[in-house]
Amino acid sequence: MGMPISHIMTSGMSGIRAAGDLVARMEFSKSMRIGEAKDYVSKKLGVSTMDLSDEYVMRELREELGLGVITSVAGVPKGIAAKMNIEKLLDIKINSCEMFRNKIA
Amino acid sequence: MQKMLVKPLQKLRNSLSEVNTMTEYALRMGDGQRIFMTKEQILTDLQEGMADAADLGTIPDLSGDELDKLVDIITTSSRMVGVEPGMEVPVTHDISTIRIDGDQGNSGVGIPSSRLVGMMMHERAFGADTMELGHIDYSYKPVKPIISQEQQTMEVCQQNMIVPLLYGAMPNMGLYYTPDGPFPNPGDLMKSFKIKEAQEAMEGAAEHLTRDIVWIMQRMMASGADGINFDTIGAAGDGDMFASLHAIEQLRKEFPDIYIETGMAGELMLGLHGEMEYDGTVLAGLWPHEQAPLAAKAGSNVFGPVVNTNTSKSFAWNLGRAVTFIKEAVKASTIPCHVNMGMGVGGIPMLETPTIDAVSRASKAMVEIAGVDGI
Amino acid sequence: MSKEEMFKELSDAIVSCKQDLVLAVIEKAKSEGIAAPEIIEKGLAAGMNEVGIMFERGKLFLPHVMMASGAMEAGVKMLEDDMPTDAPSDKLGVIVNGTVEGDVHDIGKSIVSTMLQSSGFEVHDIGRDVPLQDFIAKIKETDANMVGMSALMTTTMPGQKEIIEMLKEQGLREKVKVMVGGAPATQAWADKIGADCYAENASEAVAKAKELLV
Repeated sequence: MGMPISHIMTSGMSGIRAAGDLVARMEFSKSMRIGEAKDYVSKKLGVSTMDLSDEYVMRELREELGLGVITSVAGVPKGIAAKMNIEKLLDIKINSCEMFRNKIA
Repeated sequence: MQKMLVKPLQKLRNSLSEVNTMTEYALRMGDGQRIFMTKEQILTDLQEGMADAADLGTIPDLSGDELDKLVDIITTSSRMVGVEPGMEVPVTHDISTIRIDGDQGNSGVGIPSSRLVGMMMHERAFGADTMELGHIDYSYKPVKPIISQEQQTMEVCQQNMIVPLLYGAMPNMGLYYTPDGPFPNPGDLMKSFKIKEAQEAMEGAAEHLTRDIVWIMQRMMASGADGINFDTIGAAGDGDMFASLHAIEQLRKEFPDIYIETGMAGELMLGLHGEMEYDGTVLAGLWPHEQAPLAAKAGSNVFGPVVNTNTSKSFAWNLGRAVTFIKEAVKASTIPCHVNMGMGVGGIPMLETPTIDAVSRASKAMVEIAGVDGI
Repeated sequence: MSKEEMFKELSDAIVSCKQDLVLAVIEKAKSEGIAAPEIIEKGLAAGMNEVGIMFERGKLFLPHVMMASGAMEAGVKMLEDDMPTDAPSDKLGVIVNGTVEGDVHDIGKSIVSTMLQSSGFEVHDIGRDVPLQDFIAKIKETDANMVGMSALMTTTMPGQKEIIEMLKEQGLREKVKVMVGGAPATQAWADKIGADCYAENASEAVAKAKELLV
């Protein structure tokens, strides 16, 4: 475990602790290179690209926008709910959300 | 008075410069053993590793500035280093939760926990940007009989998680040869000089592998997977890559929005068949910067180049070599490159507990010098 | 044509992987009065070395290696009658090669077997997940002078050490050279368990085998 954690501490955006998952989604869903993906996400969030890895900025923003936060706060969107908010924010479709919508009446 | 001090001061500066040259810095061998080298020795090793990559791949050397930066990274006097603020990248993962609950003796720490728990630990405790669901027998062929289990697990995980969650395994085309699979072992055929029969066995196995990967992913996508990760494409040679690229192509057609991460097995595509082609390009003998465009052409979103560590060379040699290869791959690629940086790859020493000092330095080097889009 | 030029032509013919060409160049070398042992060692074997290097560099692929090896075998056969009667056997050594018990990885080990075979060793590839005592049995059966052991997992690596202990117990250790390989193996590991050498890849395996046996 020391190795992946070392990478995350050295170079990582730290996922839902900040905005790493959002940038990763743009790399995967639209094959955006890192600069483009960061630009895209930062514009959608109304922050600078440097803020995307800043826990201080992203913590409040994620809670406000219902994107999911790293601590398990009661009532905050998690799982599919959070991902549906991410879909809206980033203007993308997420497969698990599609499957969910297909299964509800 | 000032003129009297000039010569002694110059002599002092020269002495200090000599001391500086003789100062030794701690780094690692490719097997993780600690060694000590001077800055000059480190630079020499970096240059030799770089030259090896440049020669093999027919690619440019790193610049003088880049080499100097690598020296600075290696000789930083702290256990860990970090990228400059603003340069952070997503860190994607393979081997799923095997590193937590796995008990294979080399990758896992053996903590009994469900895969959902392992996933959420990665998302919430470790700061992973994406995650992967996989099973303990981490190849595609063995997924078929347990597909329902994988689907149910994916559904439950997707309900609870926020980060992108792929389904992943190794293509591992070797499982399609006897005694595990239906095709004769091409290694045995080759040794008996039955070259044509060996090639036919590889072609048959490749077809089966493509079919199986597509079949599995049709079910995983129906269970809400974000996409697929291919781990160690090419481990069984060029046929393995052929099968994987065709699977990627088919999946992209059927699922236009699927996330596809294409991770390789080594810097050189081993030519076990020698004549298999994709898009008019012979796959055997391809280096990372040549593999990347094919991955993009097939329909991948993210390419994961690999450079293997030589355990008999220093960390500096390995890092110089790895960064040279990866930098060119990043340049040649039209899709994001997430360099593979597990144990024994990407400059990282080959041992079950890769040393944190080396991991951290390799990580920073890949982001800041090779310019990767992720790790 | 100088001898050196002739050796180069023989080597290049092997690298071309074309059996007809190899045989034609051997005829030419014979007509120039070059002795059969020199044709083999400085021409054909040198060519096979080059083939091994080119394979590791991705310039030639496994089928080429086999074609070159086939051409070399045909060439050696052609020169049989011209070899001095007291010439040593054309095989450089006898090697038993396998993946240790519990480990099902096969491909790297098979490539090593192929390269050793095409470099002139008599190779007995006993497969993968091989019970440790089967290594010893095969060594005895074939009167091998080297054993190659591959392990791709740290859980199976100790099998390499056990085989070395078994060789000692059976009084075979002095006679049989030991080579270890596989992703987690290192020179330090080889030194620790008392192996004679560690090979990083197939080409290195050939070079180290030659160093130890030839």
